Amino acid sequence: MLITQLKSQEAIEALAQGKTVIINCHGCKEVYFAEHEADAFQKELSANKEVTQIITTDYICNPDNLKLQLKKHTDVINAADTILVFSCGVGIQTVAALFEGKKVYSCCDTYPLPGFQGVTPLNVDCGQCGECYLNGTGGICPITACSKSLINGQCGGAKEGKCEVDKNMECGWERIYRKLEKLDKLDNMKYDAPKVRNYNNPNAE
Amino acid sequence: MEDYTKFKLKRKEELDAVLADKNDLFVVACNKCFKELDSFDEPECGLFEEIAKEQGKNIVGSAQIDFLCNEPLTSKAFQDLIPQDAKNVFVISCGLGIQTMAGLLDIPVYAGSDTVTVDGYHGMALTTTLCEACGQCYLNMTGGICPVVDCSKSLLNGQCGGAKNGKCEVDKEMDCGWQLIYDRLEKQGRLQELLDKPVELRDYTKVNHKFVSEYVKSVREERYEGYYGGIHPTEFKELSEHIGLVAFPDPVNVVIPMSQHAGAPAEPIVKVGDQVKMGQKIAQAAGVVSSAIHASVSGTVVAVEPRRHPVSGLDSLAIVIQSDGKNTLDESVKPAGDIDSLSADEIIEIVREKGIVGMGGAGFPTAVKLKSPKPIELVLLNACECEPILTADHRVLLEYADEVIYGLKAMMKASGAPKGVIAIEDNKLDAVELMQAKTADIENIEIVVAKTKYPQGAEKMLIKRVMGKQVPSGGLPMDVGAIVCNVSTAKAVSDAIQLGMPLIERVVTVSGNRMNKPGNYLVKIGTSVKDIVNHCGDVKGDDVTVKIGGPMMGFAQADLNVPMLKCSNGIIAVETIVKEAVECIKCGRCMDVCPMELRPLYFTKFALEENWEGMKAQNTMDCIECGCCEYICSSKIPIVERIKIGKTAIREGK
Amino acid sequence: MRITELFERGEFVLTAEVGPPKGVELDHLIKDAHEYLKTRVHALNVTDNQSSVMRTGSLATCRVLKDEGLLPIFQVTCRDRNRIALQSDILSAALLGIENLLLLTGDYTTLGDHPQAKPVFDLDSVSLIHAVKRLEEGFDIAGNAVDGAPPKFAKGAVVSPCSDSVDVQLAKMEAKVKAGCEYFQTQGVYEPEKFIKFMEQAKQFGVPVQLGLIIPKNVGMCRYMNANVAGVHVPDEMIAELQADKEKTKAGDTGVEICARLIRECKDYAQGVHIMSLGWENRIPEILDLAGIAPITPVV
Repeated sequence: MLITQLKSQEAIEALAQGKTVIINCHGCKEVYFAEHEADAFQKELSANKEVTQIITTDYICNPDNLKLQLKKHTDVINAADTILVFSCGVGIQTVAALFEGKKVYSCCDTYPLPGFQGVTPLNVDCGQCGECYLNGTGGICPITACSKSLINGQCGGAKEGKCEVDKNMECGWERIYRKLEKLDKLDNMKYDAPKVRNYNNPNAE
Repeated sequence: MEDYTKFKLKRKEELDAVLADKNDLFVVACNKCFKELDSFDEPECGLFEEIAKEQGKNIVGSAQIDFLCNEPLTSKAFQDLIPQDAKNVFVISCGLGIQTMAGLLDIPVYAGSDTVTVDGYHGMALTTTLCEACGQCYLNMTGGICPVVDCSKSLLNGQCGGAKNGKCEVDKEMDCGWQLIYDRLEKQGRLQELLDKPVELRDYTKVNHKFVSEYVKSVREERYEGYYGGIHPTEFKELSEHIGLVAFPDPVNVVIPMSQHAGAPAEPIVKVGDQVKMGQKIAQAAGVVSSAIHASVSGTVVAVEPRRHPVSGLDSLAIVIQSDGKNTLDESVKPAGDIDSLSADEIIEIVREKGIVGMGGAGFPTAVKLKSPKPIELVLLNACECEPILTADHRVLLEYADEVIYGLKAMMKASGAPKGVIAIEDNKLDAVELMQAKTADIENIEIVVAKTKYPQGAEKMLIKRVMGKQVPSGGLPMDVGAIVCNVSTAKAVSDAIQLGMPLIERVVTVSGNRMNKPGNYLVKIGTSVKDIVNHCGDVKGDDVTVKIGGPMMGFAQADLNVPMLKCSNGIIAVETIVKEAVECIKCGRCMDVCPMELRPLYFTKFALEENWEGMKAQNTMDCIECGCCEYICSSKIPIVERIKIGKTAIREGK
Repeated sequence: MRITELFERGEFVLTAEVGPPKGVELDHLIKDAHEYLKTRVHALNVTDNQSSVMRTGSLATCRVLKDEGLLPIFQVTCRDRNRIALQSDILSAALLGIENLLLLTGDYTTLGDHPQAKPVFDLDSVSLIHAVKRLEEGFDIAGNAVDGAPPKFAKGAVVSPCSDSVDVQLAKMEAKVKAGCEYFQTQGVYEPEKFIKFMEQAKQFGVPVQLGLIIPKNVGMCRYMNANVAGVHVPDEMIAELQADKEKTKAGDTGVEICARLIRECKDYAQGVHIMSLGWENRIPEILDLAGIAPITPVV
């Protein structure tokens, strides 16, 4: 799932040229869209630049719903030189596709959070590798629990059970080993054949 | 509708191998997300069981769960579900569901399915537009076409040499992303920008574990704070929270409906032509769950006839009084004594006699609540005012703090509760400070500060947060030893005892983005909503919806010629939102936010099919109609409407 | 010459590590190798963008050393190249006459001087060892036959005997051996008891292990490693030893003494020693002398 952060103030200010319309997407506000920050910033922007309309709606990634919500703003949008969009990457692309002849700019950077649906991100993530390794690892995903996505066991970088990449993160393979130990399934760690990833979409029929 | 679900059953050969040395299986299948709601029978579960049985395996049990990866709900669902003799659990779901199960159980959990590779992350609606969430959005340099997603190689500095006829060398069905970008920029006259731009290098540290895990932690904490689910709508309280309470100018006449409370409508005891005084009883309670009603002005009864009701929109019996402008008090309006000298039963009698009902919106007769058949350990006052826009209760806390505390003490005595709590959301810190100071010396009254999350003010959510208890399905607060009341109700109880004043006036917030002059007013029951709106400068614009109540649970008014009721806590004018419902896409967001932990997506389906048994099985009657599901629904389905249809049918015994 | 031959004939195999510069002037490196290492260690590891800091390639540097009459060990990590490039570089090594490999997963990109780079890790140490073995058998890992005579190498890998997850490390070691690993060099050891205990478990795999040593230059370095480097732990007594005589430590003498002592205490349990001098190549002869290890006859 997606989450957004505002780009820097200077970056956004540079984009607001001429008559500017702002489109805020609050469909994802439950995922901590920086609403108050955006609001305060937009007020400032309105004072310094020619902001002709601020439109707040939700799920702008849904093109049909978007068209419906923007109907009453047609004139203002047509007259605008620039459209600034505060939303995730999907929303901005949707707006840009709707107004192909206009300068449509993104005011946010989008980041991933674990979880596919719903509003609450999860503590576990799925690497969508298409060749699920969970059966050999006691249910802990090596693709996402290991920073390097290793599938043949721990590298030499773990210290006190923490990953060399981020000391706040547990070494995924240490977790797997301990879980297998608990389940009395350490045999799973015995080497049969080396595991090698198939990056060429193993689920393609 | 395309199927965006994430998993497929593993191939038989692989399953045979995994099953080989395992027996006594419990099978869990996740009802897929992001696909049509219609088909419930997911083929995978059955297919898997067939394969296992072929091998002579013993299947101990199975379960089909919605949104397996929703950890709190799944954890609850599995508390006693898996029998003791199960040795291995097979899960048919995407990797998230399997890992969730593996994290919950002590016995081995195996994957019966593979997660299908899906590029990028699709948005909240079903859309083919993707975002790779790179954390360094390039869309500004490309005219809105993403080079990371639309270019197979995710190149950032222009086309490679592989495009042929505008198609990508990797997939001939796919347009070359950089060709699309070039065309778009050309159309916008921005080609020079493309030529002038500096060399782009991707920063792969933007998305790192620390960033992601901190975010996840903070979102999950806020999401599960106090009680499961809930939402954070924009509050707009700054429009009126600083405006002090003002007495609304006396109305020329008042229309007082007989139905302003839960239970049987009151019966008039006056007739046309009668002179009445302010505070005089003009209608009597019709049964145990009912309430008396009193005149809010002094004057003449000019009509006892059906008038338009703000909640039902239909005409129902009302008493119309023409005011004489004098506000002459009735003899019955005199102090009754004080808490110490009155007995519990006497207090309850005063509360009943003075027509006090729940002023938070539900209008339940307070006397009936106080005379609880079960022992009460806590009287909880709701000072959360969790609906956006409304600020009247906030002002009551600031301006009538002493009365609120007095009312609480009276309710504690009446119900026998040894403890009292006033719960205030943390968006009202001035009220918190004041109430904490005022109750500092009162040992058995505590102020609890709750993190702002709608619908914190709902009684079951309050009980969860303050007492840590869950009211059983179909139950009431008294089942866990609590009585929950609104702060305005407490003030009304205080007025009834200390002044002898019945409930004839209440606080109301008149506000909203489209109200010209917001304010907080003390209004006489029966005052015309239209008059109040006019007084507040009327509404701005044409696309305005006026609601009585708050934006989440308020009642939209087609006609403003309706009266203020005892339980009307707000009049708001907001922009009309036009919505077009589409099919449910099983995104799971409704289940994520429902504070009663229900499955709203089934309500919509069952209501359309008139499957009332199904709705009952899904505990529709537990729904508090808070509107969280409807607010978050990506398909814009009017879920609450459908719930109400179902509830009506169930009540009618269908 | 493949160093496996040395192990096979019972030699106590000595190796040291050199790191290429971030540039193309190798004179200093070659001079030090001739002066201090040629007659004291059998072979020289050449690191591969060690600690994710971009440097001149290990393969090219190995060839330069070979031309100088030295015996290089080509270190290969999986951080920077995918399986196509890795197999290609292995064949290139064979082409250039390099027969000794040390196959590692590699440090993560964020640890070095190009933190924003895209980490690859298409293969890891185990699958890389397997890939080399397959090439020796005449096939790449996609199953295609190699043209002509297949290459042959001495395949080595790393293990951390003093790791706080030593059981997990042993499991990985077993996997590496099964994939075809023929010798091991350990991460820096400072605790002989742990090494000895580890070797009791590891000897079941029947594969030679070289004791890895990192010269403890000063107290600051030890504290840094204790806090940040996985699998390395300098005990308090040793830090105290370094602190005791500041002049001696500054001169490098304490560090040298400590290394020599560690070799003496552990050598009966190991099949060789690998010294990571971190720029102090000139002290290696002294360490070996103090440990009672005589100079060797260069094998090349």
